[in-house]
Amino acid sequence: MSSITIQNVSKAYGDTKVLHSLNLDIHEGEFVSLLGPSGCGKSTLLFCVAGLEEITDGQILFDGQDIAARNPRDRNIALVFQDYALYPHMSVRENIAFPLRRQKIDAETIHGQVNWAADMLGLTKLLDRSPAELSGGQRQRVAVGRAVVRNPAALLMDEPLSNLDASLRVHMRTEIKRLARELGLTVLFVTHDQEEAMVMSDRIAVLAGGHLQQFADPMTIYRKPSNRFVAEFIGSPTMNMLPDAGHPGAVTLGVRPHDLTLGGSGGFSLDGRLTLIEPAGPHYFLDVEIGGAMIKATASDIDGLAPGAEVTLRAEDHRVYRFDSTSGAAI
Amino acid sequence: MVSTTDLSARPKPHRTSRRRKAGPPLFAYLATLPTLLLVALVVGLPLLYSLWLVLHRTNPITRKTSFAGLENFRIVLENPEFWDAFARTLYFVGFSLVGTTVIGLGMALLLNTAFRGRGIMRSVMLVPWAMAPISVGVLWSFIYAGDFGSLNALLNDLGLSALTMPWLGDGARALNLVALTHVWNQAPLTALMLLAGLQSMPSSLHRAAMLDGAGPVQRFYLITLPWLKPSLLFVSILTIINALMAFDIIWIMTRGGPGQSTTVFAWLGYVTSFQFLRFGEGAAILYILTALSFVAAVIIVLVLGPRRRRAARSVDLPADEKTSLGSHGSNRIRRPYDLPAPAIRPALLSPAVKTWLGRAGFRLGIGMLFIWSAVPVLLLLLMSLTPATDLIKLPASLVPSSVTLDNFKAVLFPDGGTTSTQAKRVPLSLLNSFLVGAISVLIAVSIAPFAGYVFARWPKAKIFQAGLWTMLFTRMTPALTLVLPFFVLFRMAGLLDTRSGLVIAHLSILLPLIAWMMKSTFEGVPKSLDQAAIIDGCSRFQMMVRVLLPVIRPGLVAAGIFGFLVSWNEFLFAMILTSTPDAQTIPVVLAGFLSQARFHEYGPLFAASVLSVLPPVIIAFVFQRYLVQGALSGAVKG
Ligand SMILES: Nc1ncnc2c1ncn2[C@@H]1O[C@H](COP(=O)(O)OP(=O)(O)O)[C@@H](O)[C@H]1O
Ligand SMILES: [Mg+2]
Repeated sequence: MSSITIQNVSKAYGDTKVLHSLNLDIHEGEFVSLLGPSGCGKSTLLFCVAGLEEITDGQILFDGQDIAARNPRDRNIALVFQDYALYPHMSVRENIAFPLRRQKIDAETIHGQVNWAADMLGLTKLLDRSPAELSGGQRQRVAVGRAVVRNPAALLMDEPLSNLDASLRVHMRTEIKRLARELGLTVLFVTHDQEEAMVMSDRIAVLAGGHLQQFADPMTIYRKPSNRFVAEFIGSPTMNMLPDAGHPGAVTLGVRPHDLTLGGSGGFSLDGRLTLIEPAGPHYFLDVEIGGAMIKATASDIDGLAPGAEVTLRAEDHRVYRFDSTSGAAI
Repeated sequence: MVSTTDLSARPKPHRTSRRRKAGPPLFAYLATLPTLLLVALVVGLPLLYSLWLVLHRTNPITRKTSFAGLENFRIVLENPEFWDAFARTLYFVGFSLVGTTVIGLGMALLLNTAFRGRGIMRSVMLVPWAMAPISVGVLWSFIYAGDFGSLNALLNDLGLSALTMPWLGDGARALNLVALTHVWNQAPLTALMLLAGLQSMPSSLHRAAMLDGAGPVQRFYLITLPWLKPSLLFVSILTIINALMAFDIIWIMTRGGPGQSTTVFAWLGYVTSFQFLRFGEGAAILYILTALSFVAAVIIVLVLGPRRRRAARSVDLPADEKTSLGSHGSNRIRRPYDLPAPAIRPALLSPAVKTWLGRAGFRLGIGMLFIWSAVPVLLLLLMSLTPATDLIKLPASLVPSSVTLDNFKAVLFPDGGTTSTQAKRVPLSLLNSFLVGAISVLIAVSIAPFAGYVFARWPKAKIFQAGLWTMLFTRMTPALTLVLPFFVLFRMAGLLDTRSGLVIAHLSILLPLIAWMMKSTFEGVPKSLDQAAIIDGCSRFQMMVRVLLPVIRPGLVAAGIFGFLVSWNEFLFAMILTSTPDAQTIPVVLAGFLSQARFHEYGPLFAASVLSVLPPVIIAFVFQRYLVQGALSGAVKG
């Protein structure tokens, strides 16, 4: 396992800049997510680390060593692709053994190592199947197997869960995290799903438009978003924004629906008219119209409430975020 | 025992539901009827007649015809010439297969790389294939010609006169050169198929292999080639059939000679039937040719076909989607072996040098592709602009004394005095080619899509499967087999020397072709669209005309363009079924220039060749997308 240092890395395709001077310092054995909307450059950054794309500027260091001169195959990086990239004409066994074969490792070691990976991933009975004969979840596990079988310096994953159905996705994120911890892997995990990033990562790097927005542990990102973009991207439902624009120094207030409650306490309060009640299991979401804007809030109890009622919503002062209306930076 | 339990376990079908599932609706039968009827008429009837031919012999003296059973086959098989031709055919096919695969793969790999001008290069690559084999033959036979040939002219110009020779004069060399010409004509088809295969390959496969430690050569053998296997399988069968049927270029370039050295099966069948008029034996040879096509297809499928994995499917594991990964207890999992990081390979060349070498190699490849595909065609253009006297000047030179449009004037605006009779035929033949092509395509495109739709939607219905197989079979039947029956039937019907006759003959090629293409196209249209149209109140016919045909219009256009090209380039039917200029098409007139025994009018010949190549070239450049789509969905043009 290695640490990965990304220093001032920029990447451009012709005239279009995709990555803007990124700095990330990933410790050995750490699980880091790259989180951002689609098209923000997450995959590009991953491919730059793997050596599949050349960086235009900056440096990438593994364990403090610049690896610019190294070919992809000399970086000892494993990558799980979004479409898994299983070799369609090879059996599961051949797929997993492929990277070891290329290193000219002796057959016995390969055999043992493949069986170990297959056992760990629950693939033992599937070893002689071809990828076409596997379900989506099984393919995904084969891809992971091929990645971890050879003790890579780092494991990169490009939205590996996005092709699975919802409940399997939730199951697999726990499993992958556990596997990474048990193997002590340095993981760089790309996702556009904020919840996935929150539950899996030691730290999250939020990207937007090729710029790094914030790099911190999940709860810091959630509780202390560095700007309006991060605040709105993290958390579901999305944070309410109460804009106040039009004059210099204007401040936009933000408050998460979970922090804005009906009948709660706190110094911050809003009055409005209830338009919709959405039951969500442990609580209800309320849509409240306040001065022409729709605000989402939560309530634990809606006895006697009906759409049309006038309500008062409250939040603790320290749960109300303040952003510069023009720059979006947190104040 | 297993089967009996199976049977008893199966629920008995309800009567009503069975009636409902009784088969395709009446519409399906009506929709296929015109196509199948026409195919039966224009393919089935001639085939039956040729079957009759092969089973009968005509006494050359008494001119009495009698049933002979398999006698014709016996005679053919006992003829040593047949076995010589057999060996030559195998050589020719092998040469073509290796040549088109190697060159086609090279072209496909080059054109799969993104670079500026790729679209144009793809069109350039397609030109030799879009050209009529007759034009290809005219071009290359002049390049290889003895005294005035371009190759010799080039050697003269380079001061290498010592190396000049009549290139097609020697037997073995002639066979190789004709095969090479065939490869020149056919390689783009292979390239096209392989290119489609390459473009459907996810880029992540190569990236994954790169990270897994495979170098470029290993990736080619371990990733690219296996990925292309299905395309290679398909294209190999096609290449073999096309090589077995190669006739036009032999007709132009060597006519089986010198001696017998380029007499392959197709030529032997032609000569036996049409020169020696031994129709039974000729038909026997052509049936053997058809059988060979089948055998070759079967062999290829056995060699390259999908290997069945033993027992893979029979093991049905319980759904285990939610497996726990890693240690199943609390211990930390350990690798059985402590794998060290792979040693970093010392780079032989610096990355900059590598990039430079890669780029240089790529440019070289593109340059070679251009020389291979475009230069011969440009040469044809140059020769058509060269004064006729230069073309027969000795010693030959590629550099014209001046550039002139006289040759084009001679064929396009013939005047009474100076133009030869053959040149005078060019304008009408161009019109004939155009009319025959346009009308055949119109007819085929207005009825075959209905059949294609039915083939796509009811693939399991036996009757339609039979129809489909018939169409495939026509693909493996040499046109030579059909042409004699056509000739006899047309003579009876007074259709010889008419454009209508040619339209009918070309329909025998176009109908199966376009029905097949439309089947592939409709397979890509979701069934829900049919259902939506029907729910919205369309009849089946309205559904076709109002909803489906507009949806597949690009496919229809592709089929039309493709079919037009096939008709425009067709030679054999056009030659046998016409004898006067009234209905002769441009390939026939081109071939006619060469039959004028003493006087080779090279100037007008090349001008006419350029005119014959013009529509294919325009199609290759302007309608490239449609041409490619047509080739991929039909994949049947030779
Ligand atoms: N080969 C390329 N050439 C030009 N632009 C590219 C190329 N690959 C990606 N891009 C652009 O770079 C941006 C980032 O892409 P990507 O890293 O794939 O985003 P993400 O993975 O975050 O969805 C996108 O705007 C995309 O259009
Ligand atoms: Mg991506």
